[in-house]
Amino acid sequence: MTDTAAAAAAPIIDDDAGWQRLHPATLALAIVKLGPRSLQFLPAVAALGFTGNWVYIVPAILAFLLISLLAAWFQWLRFRFRVGDDEIVIESGVLSRQHRTIPFDRIQDVSIEQGLVSRALGIAKVGFETGAGGKENDASLDAIGLDAAQALRTTIRAHRSGEAATAVPAVDAPDAPPAATDRLLFAMTPRQLLVAGLFNFSLAALAVVGAGMQFFDGLLPFDFNVFNPRDWIDIAEDYGLDQWLLAHRWIAGVGAAISLLFIGFASGIATMMFANWNFRLTREPRALRRTRGLTTRTDVAVPVKRVQAAILVTGWFRQRFGWHELRLQSLASDGEKERDHQVVPFAKLDAIDPVLAEVAIARPDAAAPWQQSHRIIALGGLVGTLGATIGGLVAVSFGQALGWFGPVVGVLIGAASLFGARFHRWTDLGEQVAIRRGFWKPKLTLLPHASVQSVDLKTDFILRPLGLATLVFGVPGGSSLASHEIPAIPAATAQELRARILAARARA
Amino acid sequence: MTDTPAVHPTDPFDPEALNSAEGLDPVDPAYAQVLRVATALNLIPLAIGASVFDYLLIRHIEGPYGLITALAWLIAIIVIISFPSRRVSRWGYKIGEGQLRVARGWLFRTDTIVPFVRVQHIDVGQGPIERWFGLSHLIVHTSGTHNSTVTLPGLPADLAAAMRETIRRHIQTDFA
Repeated sequence: MTDTAAAAAAPIIDDDAGWQRLHPATLALAIVKLGPRSLQFLPAVAALGFTGNWVYIVPAILAFLLISLLAAWFQWLRFRFRVGDDEIVIESGVLSRQHRTIPFDRIQDVSIEQGLVSRALGIAKVGFETGAGGKENDASLDAIGLDAAQALRTTIRAHRSGEAATAVPAVDAPDAPPAATDRLLFAMTPRQLLVAGLFNFSLAALAVVGAGMQFFDGLLPFDFNVFNPRDWIDIAEDYGLDQWLLAHRWIAGVGAAISLLFIGFASGIATMMFANWNFRLTREPRALRRTRGLTTRTDVAVPVKRVQAAILVTGWFRQRFGWHELRLQSLASDGEKERDHQVVPFAKLDAIDPVLAEVAIARPDAAAPWQQSHRIIALGGLVGTLGATIGGLVAVSFGQALGWFGPVVGVLIGAASLFGARFHRWTDLGEQVAIRRGFWKPKLTLLPHASVQSVDLKTDFILRPLGLATLVFGVPGGSSLASHEIPAIPAATAQELRARILAARARA
Repeated sequence: MTDTPAVHPTDPFDPEALNSAEGLDPVDPAYAQVLRVATALNLIPLAIGASVFDYLLIRHIEGPYGLITALAWLIAIIVIISFPSRRVSRWGYKIGEGQLRVARGWLFRTDTIVPFVRVQHIDVGQGPIERWFGLSHLIVHTSGTHNSTVTLPGLPADLAAAMRETIRRHIQTDFA
């Protein structure tokens, strides 16, 4: 980013020294965001309609629009920020003012995100990742001009690397001198995306379409539901096809199967393309930087020092072809939905290993001595079996034939948990623990000893008589619902492993 | 504390054995009183509520009036008298060797170790009931998502302050 570009893109300057406002196009974005929000208004409109007060509907909608726009405008007016020499100051809030100062030293990295509308307007949302716990604690500028955003990021990065060069010379691995910046680690070509999309087969889109048809059933101008076989038969009758169809029932079956497959593959490919179009993972002096997205382009950096664990996910089918996905657990979460940073969406292990090497995590080799968790971990599933069976039988005894689903589902759950329990394994690699679990979606967690902040050794009235214990690790980042654990291993082994892990020094 | 082996270390029903077998120090017995008062403050309103319910509804529908009231008060009194001391005896802690160890529970026992160097910050808290009995609780914050806070209740106030000072000297930040 050159100085001229930064100067040209400088947003409106207030009369005070250096105060800037958000890009005016943010207001346009607010209008776009009104679209989904006005859905909340539907019940009110419906209520007005049902009560016969039709005259009020248009004024009510206009008032809603006006108030929303006024609110957005006030927020825009009362939001200002200033980029100082070594800090950024943000003032916000209409009624209760908030004044926040973030020193550049504390900004781990700057993420830039552009939705479809933002790209058309040339603006971007800038997020500052400070490592304060919780999403709500991280500040963001939503939104400023793309040029200004990139200039801001360059400024902050320059500040950081200057400090890093003087104060912390040993930040980077010796094989990556600061001069060799921005190495491309991993990229996805459209062809790879297509392959990945094929493995991403999903019938979730079908459910969405089905729900939509249900929802809009009364609104559609034609009375036709793609999920209702009778509607298809009606059509067939109209064209005199019904006799032919009855005679060739298997053709109809094959056709249905093919269309299901098509929908599944198409939605898999589409989601993969939209999310990961032009995927690039580059190694920067301090971080791994990922850019991706077709409509919404995101630019996220994961500071290497803050990577806590690596998670390799695959599926039972794609595993046979050697395809894996790599996620890194960092202090920050990846966007609003994902907890872990997806740094390699779909690749073979030899493409993943170099990325793992950058964060100093190694994959266990074939000789690693895997140890199994005790089979007792299937107990939860078996209790589920019992519950489903009893519930189903009770329903049957009340004359509800559907109740037979209970025992059937119960047996399936039980079999799945018994089978899946055999895939819970762990091994200690000296510097890190590897935990493997799952058959349907095998997941390998590589947890460096040095990332572990605390260790729980849990026993209960079932594990204790068997001499077993469960180890639960407190690791920064990730989901609070899915903590890393090694379930049901011999208590003595667990205690020894805990002592060994806690002896590790802090991750450098 | 002492390193003398417990008389019957394997008996899970002996509260003394549980802690000594694992080399843990017990929390202050006065913590049982704190728990008792807290439990009473929770349960007595519930029992009163049950009595009112009984009085207003069961009598009105001519059910067995008095049954719910009697049961509610019986359970409340049993829980208030007997449970707190059992729960307290299953708390244990050990501070030393650069780490804090906190164990609690029996049916579901959790034994947590936090190395001092992993502690982000420490709180020493004292609620009104604790103040009455001269106790404090120590809260250790780590940066882990799981176990982001580890609480050790039932410490004499001066011991809690001393533990805080011990841990404080070891705190260092890992993250840039």
